[in-house]
Amino acid sequence: MAGESGGEDVVAEYLGQNPQLAQWVETFRSYCESNKQWVARREFILRNMEAFPTVKPGVSSSSLDRLLSLSMVWANHVFLGCSYPQAVMDKIKEMGEGIKVQDPPVHKTTKDEFTARGKRSASAELEDDSCVKRAKAGPNELDSRPALRTAARPASQKLGPPPQAPAEHQPFFNRLYKAVAWKLVSAGGFGPNLDHFEILRSCVESCKQTLTCVFVPLKDITGLPAGRTQKEGHVCEIRCQTVFMGTGYGRDEAAARAMASKEALKVFQGRKVTVKICRRRYKGKDVDDLMLLDEQPRSQGFPPALSYPFQDEQLEDSSS
Amino acid sequence: MGVPAFFRWLSRKYPSIIVHCVEEKGKECNGVRIPVDTTKPNPNEVEFDNLYLDMNGIIHPCTHPEDKPAPKNEDEMMVAIFEYIDRLFNIVRPRRVLYMAIDGVAPRAKMNQQRSRRFRASKEGVELVEEKSRVREEVIQKGGYLPPEEIKERFDSNCITPGTEFMDNLAQCLRYYVAERLTNDPGWKNIVVFLSDASVPGEGEHKIMDFIRRQRGQPNHDPNTHHCLCGADADLIMLGLATHEPNFTIIREEFKPNKPRPCGLCGQTGHEIKACQGMPREKQGQHDEFANTMPAAEQEFIFIRLCVLREYLARELTMASLPFPFDFERSVDDWVFMCFFVGNDFLPHLPSLEIREGAIDRLVGIYKDVVHKTGGYLTQNGYVNLERVEMIMQAVGVAEDNIFKKRKDDDENFKRRNKEKRKRMKAQQQGPAYLTTGQFAPHALGRRDRPEAVQNARHQACDMRMQSNMVNDGADSRGVKRKADDSDSEPEPEDNVRLWEEGWKQRYYKNKFDVDATDEDFRRKVVQSYVEGLCWVLRYYYQGCASWKWYFPFHYAPFASDFKDIKDMFSDFEKNTKPFKPLEQLMGVFPAASGNFLPPTWRNLMSSPDSPIIDFYPDDFAIDLNGKKYAWQGVALLPFVDERRLRAALADVYPDLTSEEKRRNSLGSDVLFLGKSHPLFDFIHELYRTESNEGTEIPAELCHGIQGRLNLDDDPILPDNTVRSPVPMLRDVSQNTAIGVKFKDPPYPDGFVFKAVLLPGAKIPSKVLKPEDWVRGNGQPWRPQLGFNPNRQQAHLDQSGFRALGYVHIYIFNIINVKTSKKKKKKVEHSCFPEFPVKVVQTFCIFTFTSVRQIRTADISKKQNWRKIGRWFNWSYTGFVSYCNDRVCFVVCLFFKQCITRSLLQSSFPCFYFEQQTVMPF
Repeated sequence: MAGESGGEDVVAEYLGQNPQLAQWVETFRSYCESNKQWVARREFILRNMEAFPTVKPGVSSSSLDRLLSLSMVWANHVFLGCSYPQAVMDKIKEMGEGIKVQDPPVHKTTKDEFTARGKRSASAELEDDSCVKRAKAGPNELDSRPALRTAARPASQKLGPPPQAPAEHQPFFNRLYKAVAWKLVSAGGFGPNLDHFEILRSCVESCKQTLTCVFVPLKDITGLPAGRTQKEGHVCEIRCQTVFMGTGYGRDEAAARAMASKEALKVFQGRKVTVKICRRRYKGKDVDDLMLLDEQPRSQGFPPALSYPFQDEQLEDSSS
Repeated sequence: MGVPAFFRWLSRKYPSIIVHCVEEKGKECNGVRIPVDTTKPNPNEVEFDNLYLDMNGIIHPCTHPEDKPAPKNEDEMMVAIFEYIDRLFNIVRPRRVLYMAIDGVAPRAKMNQQRSRRFRASKEGVELVEEKSRVREEVIQKGGYLPPEEIKERFDSNCITPGTEFMDNLAQCLRYYVAERLTNDPGWKNIVVFLSDASVPGEGEHKIMDFIRRQRGQPNHDPNTHHCLCGADADLIMLGLATHEPNFTIIREEFKPNKPRPCGLCGQTGHEIKACQGMPREKQGQHDEFANTMPAAEQEFIFIRLCVLREYLARELTMASLPFPFDFERSVDDWVFMCFFVGNDFLPHLPSLEIREGAIDRLVGIYKDVVHKTGGYLTQNGYVNLERVEMIMQAVGVAEDNIFKKRKDDDENFKRRNKEKRKRMKAQQQGPAYLTTGQFAPHALGRRDRPEAVQNARHQACDMRMQSNMVNDGADSRGVKRKADDSDSEPEPEDNVRLWEEGWKQRYYKNKFDVDATDEDFRRKVVQSYVEGLCWVLRYYYQGCASWKWYFPFHYAPFASDFKDIKDMFSDFEKNTKPFKPLEQLMGVFPAASGNFLPPTWRNLMSSPDSPIIDFYPDDFAIDLNGKKYAWQGVALLPFVDERRLRAALADVYPDLTSEEKRRNSLGSDVLFLGKSHPLFDFIHELYRTESNEGTEIPAELCHGIQGRLNLDDDPILPDNTVRSPVPMLRDVSQNTAIGVKFKDPPYPDGFVFKAVLLPGAKIPSKVLKPEDWVRGNGQPWRPQLGFNPNRQQAHLDQSGFRALGYVHIYIFNIINVKTSKKKKKKVEHSCFPEFPVKVVQTFCIFTFTSVRQIRTADISKKQNWRKIGRWFNWSYTGFVSYCNDRVCFVVCLFFKQCITRSLLQSSFPCFYFEQQTVMPF
């Protein structure tokens, strides 16, 4: 946010030094534009004026109109949620780089709307859903708006699972969902007195897969809140097919594993489970991770990851 | 008006404004169709002078109908339009004027709405095609059958916009049509036809209003002209009221919600595309003989009598003990004005005023409260008194908080009820959870095949156990159950504004306008634009277009409580603004996907990244549901067109227009046509003979007092010149006797104000509603007026007629209280046509009909009709209507709170003949 106000300050200062230019630029403001929108668009115009050498302050010309038009395209995209042909989008993405807009409104395009109304096929639904719902749900979310992503995200762009990964993993978890449901029914329903790990393990194995458990002693975890008195014990993270299912803490490894399994089984209490790509902390950085989620919107973010199965790619990326 | 609910609300509240049309159908004799003779008196027992057609309401259903197969090509569309006009002409039978108005270039205020509609249409079209192909693939993979895909190109309804080739062709075709009918149809012999095609700027209905206004502003106008305006838009009612003509009737297709639509893939009704399974078609009739008949009957027409609406309004609006004299005409204008708050094509409606929630009644209530304090009316001749409007708005603003809370409550109650209802329905549908099978399977009693003795019971029991295991195995039962749960909670769009919670105003401005609550300036700006908008709209209805440039530059309306200090917010509009040229307008309303209607270099401006106006043409956009349920009710978040940049960009491509395109881009003129026997014919013919090129006034005495200026047409329709048919399947008019000439409405000086008053000499039609002080014991029961004629003759049939029709059987039951013991017991007593001696608590009667035709003539199949009839008679209607079989039996059951006698029934249902009394079979 500091950088943002900085950008504004620069613009304001620049305009303060060029009162004539400021006056001229002000004529481009349209009547219905709010201050916030206009300030952003003005920055867009000023930043890109040099790229249109024929634009002379105070003179209207067709190249000025082109610049104005692109500034409107950019503003319409950011503030109204319009999209344009790819060539135009690429152009404004490039031109708009570095301009920061504080909490831009979230709009659904009709395409999202269309799918959200239920006329959808399974795989398309998941991706769209993840974009729309998560955007409001948690801070750990991948930004669904490509043009803004550049501004909001650190440079680690190619990290993490491939975008099609959720769709690939989803069928397995659908099967697992059914298996767990039946298992719980036969065990008398979900409750505290179950052997959660055993249930989860047998279900996963009945679906011809295995669980991966990672254990980390609590004291080895950095960045915990300072006032924490508990220094003993272990934390366990359970994944299956690289998809994160749950984290749990316990006195010993078995207890931690049981707690993590319990957390994982909780996800299966919803109407369905969904694999999504979400942002979470891992070793002090934000990374994209594959998560198994239920439908409930989350009030808080996710616990930090203990392992990162996409590490290799990351290393490759950072080394190249 | 973009408020479909408005008409429904109006017709429910004021049921007597509606009169069903009587339509004489053409007969067929040996395969030859005999046209109806429209010179005969109108079967509706009223004579209309002028018929005005808002043509866009005709063009749309004729070119892309929703309830029947689409015409194959443009020629068929034209023929469909001709037939539709013929039908209307036959019903209305105008005696003086037929005015056809096609939408021309609209004012900027309307163009934003048109733009939004066209962008949506284009998007929906693409989505439909995508969905179709997706579902088609799925269905075929599953082994379903679908008829082969039609190769036909999809008709882009966006071409129904002024400036396109299609509209140009249409104008040509209509000229031919008019000449043909004037020459050959005796019913057209004495009428004047005006054709205002798409090249004349202005919306169709407003061109019509301009015509009426300018005619009635001149001294020769006949103040008792009976106008009939055709069109479905609710704003026609407002426009009609705004004329203050005493005889004004609107004709429209009957409003039938939820008509079954055939599936776009397999063509069968009963499901939507997404649910298509490609099942084989069901046979229609025993040998599939009804295969090509549409399930719904031909759409019928209704009249809306504005003089009756005025009667209702007079009752509602009349106020006693005002500090100033009450003037009904002025209060009607105020009523019209208040309806704009609830919805119009030019402004988004105020968030707190929703027609379904009785917003107009609320406004009227507030109006009657406040008018004592305002010291006068809100409007005069289409000019708004802002000071007084502010008082109304503030009064609405006070209630706003509660309105939103109540809306939420109602909504929640509605949802809860629906959920419960669904649950009930489901419970009813479910059979028993478990049925024994095999030799233990349940058998009906008393059937001939008696169950045999049980053999090997243990084995059977084992089988049954296995079977039930098999059924329960897998995810089946669970899957089903979950699905059922799902259907209970439909996906709800998230509402971030939450108008029912504290802080709604801040959230609204933040979410909708992206401004903070502290931004007072911005809020004022929105309010000011809205105030200008109210002034513009009212002026548009009463005086014509005040500014072609003005528009409301936001997507949302402010709150009523924001209307503070609005008195000085508006002075006047920019003078002498000009409408867009047709092609310029196309650039302003079309999405890039409809660019094919424009010349290549123009089209290029809609898609090239280097175009200086590329921002007008997003290829996808967000729709804010804004608390509504369906996408089409939501707000399309489209950018507005910057007029300066549009014109600058077009200046570069103007030289690329061909001469044909230049012609299409130019402004045209209204054209007047008439036939040989019209008194004005010789006068016009003389103009052509003498080639008098300066405009000539119509001599008022030759044309029922209609005035205007005539100019020679460049390519005129003249008598004895063959009129070529533009449609291959129709013949040329070789013996043409019609003549056409350019027509211009009478001019008025700048600043002239058309008075919104009744004209001197205007006679108010006789009253229709039951007088409020009607005393029942007056000897005669009140006889409601069903049609236009107060002294309508009841038709009678002879015996053979009834045999042909079939009988109506009526069973009347009176429920009387018979005290048997201490308890009161209700007992159903049968057959009481003779007056009943005992005190009757309730009556119900059952009508059974033996022919469908009878039902149609009686229009009995409509529940609302029964309700209406019930209201006339102060009966409590709680009847139901049900079909047993389309042909055999049809039952209506009515409950009355009083004793019903035969004579009373007969007088209320004159269309039936109560022939038989049959003893009820139970």
